[in-house]
Amino acid sequence: MKKGTMPKLGMIFGFVLLTLLSTSIVSAQQTFNTTIYFDYTNYLSKGGPVTSAAKNNFFAFRRAYFTYENKINDNLKFRFRYDADNTVNITSVDFGKASTKKDDKLRPFIKHLYLEYSGLMPNSSLKIGMTETIQYKIAEDRWGYRSVAKTLMDGYKDITGVDVDAPSADLGVSLTGSLAKYVRYGLMISNGAGYSHAESDKYKKIAGHIHLIPVAGLSVVGYMDYEKQDADNSATTYKLDGYFEMIRNLIIGAEYFLYKNDKYLTNDEVRYDVSGLSLFGRCILKADVISLFARFDRYEPNSKTSDDEMSRVIAGLDWAPVHKSMRLQPNIWIRSYPDSEKKNDVVFNFTFFLSF
Amino acid sequence: MKKLIATVTLGLAFLAMVLIAAPAQKKMIQIKGSDTLVNLVQVLAEEYMDKNPGIALAILGGGSGTGITAIINQTCDIANHSREWKQKEIDQAWEKGVKPRFFIIAVDGLSVIVNEKNTLDKMTMAELGAIYRGEIKKWNAVGGTDKAVSLYGRQSNSGTYVFMQEHVLGNKNYSTDMKEMNGNAQIIEGVLQDEGGIGYVGVGYLFDKDGKVRKGLKVLNISKQPGGQAFSPLDKAAVDNGDYPVARPLYQATNGKPDAAVAAFMAFETGPEGQKIVEREGFFTIGAKHKEQNEKNLR
Repeated sequence: MKKGTMPKLGMIFGFVLLTLLSTSIVSAQQTFNTTIYFDYTNYLSKGGPVTSAAKNNFFAFRRAYFTYENKINDNLKFRFRYDADNTVNITSVDFGKASTKKDDKLRPFIKHLYLEYSGLMPNSSLKIGMTETIQYKIAEDRWGYRSVAKTLMDGYKDITGVDVDAPSADLGVSLTGSLAKYVRYGLMISNGAGYSHAESDKYKKIAGHIHLIPVAGLSVVGYMDYEKQDADNSATTYKLDGYFEMIRNLIIGAEYFLYKNDKYLTNDEVRYDVSGLSLFGRCILKADVISLFARFDRYEPNSKTSDDEMSRVIAGLDWAPVHKSMRLQPNIWIRSYPDSEKKNDVVFNFTFFLSF
Repeated sequence: MKKLIATVTLGLAFLAMVLIAAPAQKKMIQIKGSDTLVNLVQVLAEEYMDKNPGIALAILGGGSGTGITAIINQTCDIANHSREWKQKEIDQAWEKGVKPRFFIIAVDGLSVIVNEKNTLDKMTMAELGAIYRGEIKKWNAVGGTDKAVSLYGRQSNSGTYVFMQEHVLGNKNYSTDMKEMNGNAQIIEGVLQDEGGIGYVGVGYLFDKDGKVRKGLKVLNISKQPGGQAFSPLDKAAVDNGDYPVARPLYQATNGKPDAAVAAFMAFETGPEGQKIVEREGFFTIGAKHKEQNEKNLR
């Protein structure tokens, strides 16, 4: 896409949305929702890659979402979601002063901005705009604790530093739906740049998944995406998930993915692959009040290197003592490394989840 | 390391306290869903709890869609709903391993109400549909005055909204002028204060404490066809034999076979004592066919 085309398209899209909204605002169903993840973190070990930082206990906001939804009619819905985090760490703008400095203020950015149309085919949903990607939405619904940890692919870059082209939202078009109670599908064409960046090339990411439920409570999901990186190189993701929900109040899930990018080369110019495995379980002891959760992740950021893997175990409790909109989620993370030079990291988080 | 052991020990102690404390509480049955059913089930629950002090029932409204979602997500024991499940919801339940069982606990003559100053007494199903689709804008098009029609309805997660859309509007969209109210009581308040107002509510919401239709409201008789006889939702015989065209069963759903405590409550609701309450609250009792189906599902 040419430089400057993005803002123009954005303006046109915004104008169309505003026009639609202004004509329907009187009678539409409108909702506002806020969700906040707030942590108290305490390092229980010292000297690991994470726990060697000078700070060893701190409070932090990790996420603050503000969502506005407008149901224009039975088939048409609009969503606008602001997200805010402090990972951008941008430099404050200084008008005329001698110094500028970086800060960690929570800064809002647009996470979702889309129209959803459900009248195209029976049991389908077409989304146009900045919308959630289809890579791990199913996994996220099953895991259910984004407040504690993102799902495997979603959080892969945060943990390993290796980008697997897995943004949680992107600008494009997606179509999801069900063909019968045994089969769900999802297709998406998007920039591939994610919600953090404007498109920088002419290539688009094409993604698809097929979700089979052969018996009630047992799901198998196959996912694949493809995007050319430049004229000679491309990147492909293969993903396989399985979910077991046949026992009341128990959810067990597994995710495995393999990411191949022709531009990911070792010093010897040999392509290496990136992969990961996640196993998780969630047990509801009392609905909307108390649950237990645990997860094991295995990260392989470079298939050609033997000592860069890492594992992570998460275990915790989800407790809503007063109301389900205010949850306390104490949890422990243990990260271990095969590299004998690296010490294990043990981190305790007391996560506050607020949704209202 | 000491810090780790201390934290883990504290965590386990905390968990043990929560788990130990739980069995000491009463057996709690969570019921969510239909706003049409919420008052009726609340009264049924209160009477049941009086007789069974070891059981606690918590009843929440929010609409049929809310209740159905809750049973699919396994966050309640019983879902109240005033419409049948959509295919999408049946598919979601399948995906999550939820096998719903359906029970009918009462029958509702969904009542079309207008302000008492409205000169109309009856209308056809086709006229009612055209009014709610926004095709008829003034009352004189159906034999009334030239006052503008003012539409009151429910929000879309309400089973009543969906039932009306499917059975009266021919699955077409509601007029965008319709005011989407949060409950039956709000619709009644709207119509009471609006001479051009029309609304639809569960029959159980029509009455005052003396058992009479609330002052200021008029309940319209509805006919299936133009020229056909119009019937009132207050006429039990007309509702029972299908002459009143906007009648519907009111459901409860469980995830699979209900456990002993839930089954006992449902047996109370659908048994003679419960059905007396159903009648007292302004709804209609279930027939033999529904009873047989309920008993089968309880087994």
